[in-house]
Amino acid sequence: MAVTAKAFQLWRQEIAPTDSVSDLCRSAGIKRSTLAQQLVRGKVSVSTLLAVARGYGLDPVCALAQFEGYTDLLTGMRAPTSAELLSQVSHRDILKLLVARGEGTGNGLSDLVPFPHRNSVRAWIEAIDPGDLRQQLSERSGIARQNLSAQLSAGRLSPGLAIDASRIAGVSLTSGLVVTGLLTCAEGGWPVTGRADALNALSDTDLVLLARDRLDALGKQLRKADADENRDRAIWENLG
Amino acid sequence: MSGHLIQWAALLLCVLGALLRVPGVRRGRGRMIFAALVLMSIAVALSLPPIYLPVDGVLGGWNAANLVIRLSLYAVVVLLGLRMAAAFDAERVRALIVGPVGISVLLLTVAATLVLFALSDLSESSTGLARYHGQQTVERYADIGRLYPGYVSACLVVPAAAGSLHSGSRPAHRLACFLLAAGFFSVACFAVLELFQGLDLGVFEVVLPFGAILLVVSGLTLIWFSRRRGRPRQRNPLA
Repeated sequence: MAVTAKAFQLWRQEIAPTDSVSDLCRSAGIKRSTLAQQLVRGKVSVSTLLAVARGYGLDPVCALAQFEGYTDLLTGMRAPTSAELLSQVSHRDILKLLVARGEGTGNGLSDLVPFPHRNSVRAWIEAIDPGDLRQQLSERSGIARQNLSAQLSAGRLSPGLAIDASRIAGVSLTSGLVVTGLLTCAEGGWPVTGRADALNALSDTDLVLLARDRLDALGKQLRKADADENRDRAIWENLG
Repeated sequence: MSGHLIQWAALLLCVLGALLRVPGVRRGRGRMIFAALVLMSIAVALSLPPIYLPVDGVLGGWNAANLVIRLSLYAVVVLLGLRMAAAFDAERVRALIVGPVGISVLLLTVAATLVLFALSDLSESSTGLARYHGQQTVERYADIGRLYPGYVSACLVVPAAAGSLHSGSRPAHRLACFLLAAGFFSVACFAVLELFQGLDLGVFEVVLPFGAILLVVSGLTLIWFSRRRGRPRQRNPLA
């Protein structure tokens, strides 16, 4: 859910009354044409807004919370749950820890693969799902179920949907913005060592079961990718 | 310039599509599709009076060129059908084209075409046999000439349409499959609609078959481009 260009312009005059649009873009490190296009269309994307806030040294969450639809962002910001943190741990780290524990060479990891990873969004939705999250999300936001699925498959989730999903699941409202990469851990209130702590706290049993689930999901994904690739190859070889 | 604009466009596209594939063919790649495009170019060229009349003159002036069109189109349809069935992994479609049923239909079609052509009185060159409109054997000859391509095309509509719906496929392939499906659908429609005597298709008489050729050749050419530019799209799948 983007913010209106009008609200953005008002906010911009407040934070940088003397700066031109060019100055603004330079400070924010965004392309002038991108912002110009968004202003013409009447909608400024959340990522643009956050980049501008960062450029002027403002807290991105506070800045976003000034816009309609995001006003409860600050009050709804909490520590992430352990399931959310684990959803953002790569299977590589899970397996690494499993091997380390098996070899008796260490109980904990400290240096995790950075996130968001390719599956971040879907993994997060699954981690916070109380059972009918997708259903509720599509009812609440009016997005069709298959469009939602398509977004998740492509590893995307619009900011509006991400926050709505948090509201439905009762988790921190900034979590969705963190797992989509719009906010950094620090900005979104995720402790920097949170993922590692959640991973290291797992019992051996939970670690193995988590590894199993992740490998299962990865296997399915690869099988689908193989099938897609084979189909493309068959078309090339026979008709290309 | 005589002949419909769309016919010239179809000819141009067929020739271009074939030329693009020449380097690949010399390396032994895509021979069947190349052959189909060449034959299709010949058939389309012969549908144009400025090409048909001189060619038929050379062949003796008894409309043998029209027979060439028919037989080329049958060959085009078989070649395309086989490649499409393989491309879409549609074993049943392949069986319908070259299985016992498909081969019987093809043999019957060729036999009927030759017999009806022999029975017809076609002493003077006429593009598309337009002069002989109304002659019973000529009408049946034309019907059969549309029915066999219609049959094979109808078999191919579903797998091609399914290919355009695969969300995991490359966008270029989905578009190409859509063009192919639309082209095959037009061919099948045309064959069925023409069976109704007295139904005047108007401009669609030309637009349906030649539009179908444009669609199919566009689809094939799109796939050719996609193959040329294609590289493995995934980085490390285990990352």
